[in-house]
Amino acid sequence: MKHARISPYLLNGLLLALALLASVAIGAVYIAPGTVLRIFLAQIPWVNVETAGLETAVTIIMQVRLPHTALVVLTGAALAGSGAAYQGLFRNPLADPYLIGVASGAGLGAVLAMSRQWPSDWLGLYTVPIAAFLGAVVTIVIVYNLAKTGPTLQTTTLILAGVAVSSFATALTSFLMLRSNAELRRALGWLLGGSLLSGWTPVVAMLPYVTVGLLLLLTMGHALNVLQFGDDQAEQMGLNVERTKRLLLVAASLTTAAAVAFSGIIGFVGLIVPHVMRLIWGPDYRRLTPLSIIGGGTLLLLADILARVALAPQVLPVGVVTALGGAPFFLWILYQAKSKVTW
Amino acid sequence: MKKNTIGLWLILSFLTIFVLSACGAETAVSTPAPTVEPTVAAEPTAVAQTLTFTDGLGNTIELAGPAQRIISLAPSNTEILFYVGAGDQVVGRDSVSDYPEAALAVTDIGGGFGELAMETIIDLQPDLVLVADITAPEQIQALTDVGLTIYALPNPTTLPDMFANLRTVAQLTGHEAETEALVSELEGRVTAVSDKIATVTEKPLVFYEIDSTDPNAPWTAGAGTFVDTLINMGGGQNVGAVMADAWGQISVEELLVQDPDVILLGDYTWGGVTPEDVAAREGWGGLTAVQNGSVYTFDDNTVSRPGPRMVDGVEAMAKTLHPELFE
Repeated sequence: MKHARISPYLLNGLLLALALLASVAIGAVYIAPGTVLRIFLAQIPWVNVETAGLETAVTIIMQVRLPHTALVVLTGAALAGSGAAYQGLFRNPLADPYLIGVASGAGLGAVLAMSRQWPSDWLGLYTVPIAAFLGAVVTIVIVYNLAKTGPTLQTTTLILAGVAVSSFATALTSFLMLRSNAELRRALGWLLGGSLLSGWTPVVAMLPYVTVGLLLLLTMGHALNVLQFGDDQAEQMGLNVERTKRLLLVAASLTTAAAVAFSGIIGFVGLIVPHVMRLIWGPDYRRLTPLSIIGGGTLLLLADILARVALAPQVLPVGVVTALGGAPFFLWILYQAKSKVTW
Repeated sequence: MKKNTIGLWLILSFLTIFVLSACGAETAVSTPAPTVEPTVAAEPTAVAQTLTFTDGLGNTIELAGPAQRIISLAPSNTEILFYVGAGDQVVGRDSVSDYPEAALAVTDIGGGFGELAMETIIDLQPDLVLVADITAPEQIQALTDVGLTIYALPNPTTLPDMFANLRTVAQLTGHEAETEALVSELEGRVTAVSDKIATVTEKPLVFYEIDSTDPNAPWTAGAGTFVDTLINMGGGQNVGAVMADAWGQISVEELLVQDPDVILLGDYTWGGVTPEDVAAREGWGGLTAVQNGSVYTFDDNTVSRPGPRMVDGVEAMAKTLHPELFE
């Protein structure tokens, strides 16, 4: 595929812009595009646009749709960006952001908080996201320390330790869910990738983590490219391999943990978006990481729109849609490109 | 060691951000929503004074008059609303609310998977959202954030509590007089059953089945649930009362040891499980209830939804366990 003439950034950026527009325009309640535009214009201080009589529409757009769209695009970007980094770090096409236990750790933290119904007046509704975030971080620290042999970090050991710790955390989560019947629905919704909090606060709380993490990953494109030659060769090429791996691991895990804490466990985006981008635009991480970030936002937005309209007024957890729609889509891409690409 | 410092810093900074945003959110919440839709309240009969209520979560709410545009977020709430005569005032209901039949014509606002169609809710411009114990705190917060008036109906654990809920909903909707008569009638029916059961000396052992996806470990209800209460009121003893949890899976071995006299199939209601299915299960054939043909289907909605139909449940339970008293 020769796409050198069209800038991949332009094309993907355009797709993202369209998805953003669609996400704001489409919802359970129909609001005419003109009305949406008027509401946006009215937000600009020096533009004088009348929105009297549109209070309901203003509430829907500004307090429901817009923050939800922001949360979705951030989550998709975070998952796909860290997915690309994980695949590069582990040199394994099956790697996704949940490979070494971020999701199961976060799940355990969240369900523990829900089942205990910690009546924290201090943290209030933030108890669950904080518990999820801490669960993810603690899991990564445990896995990391289990896998570290002396000064070096073996990626295979890391995966094995991750899988073992993950399944333990998942088992504990299931046990807690069975014991806490009343919270079962809430826990299940979250585990399937449904966000619990709404409005702007989760967006604001998530933003610094995702921004810092993704910016860090964006600067490591060259390092990821070099890492693909294997640890020894990368070291000979002048890369501080251990430091690079640690930094990648921290940045990608942190980004994922923040996304999972607020948006629940959304599968597949972190796995397929980097692959799709790699199949179309090539394996250069200096380009792959930013494209994955943009594409992740786009794909999750589209999945989320589908989740909102498919069974309207019923809203599906978006994770169900990404898994249902993502797998066949990925297979199709794979089929189209199987003769042209080797991993 | 350096890595540990980084980890600690991360956790601390995360907590800081959260506490800051949490404080921000709290100030936003504590300002009571002043927008109680004065336009809608002007419509009903000359009820001028503001109604003040304290809900099940301890929050104080004010209504300019009886609520006229109500959204119900639980099937029990919907049943109560229609029962007290406020069915016409219901403008939205959750997906699970399927009773009475008239409720099905009301706009569905989701909630089947836990997620609510917030846009539809806002668009319906409700003056009251009636939530229940099954409503997640995050959902209540989200509804508060967009300026809606919310009343959390407390979760009853006894029939008198449930009757109190009927009266509360009647006050919220302006149907006190009719409801008082309805509640008296319900109380009378309960007393009639209790009087009959008081004469009973032999109390059969009852196994109430909620789900038998795993026939070696079916789900049942323990002490403190309405299932347990209704079995006792109907003149029986609950096999599940031995469990540590309110709801749980009980071993079929425990079932064989206790050997219940009666098996009630609550899972018939949603899963179509029949007495024939039970008899066909391996290891169940020797149970006294199966051999005597004392396996019955039971309308699970009359024990699982804390609403007026629970009185139907009490009567059905008593009639099933002691048919001789009702001849």
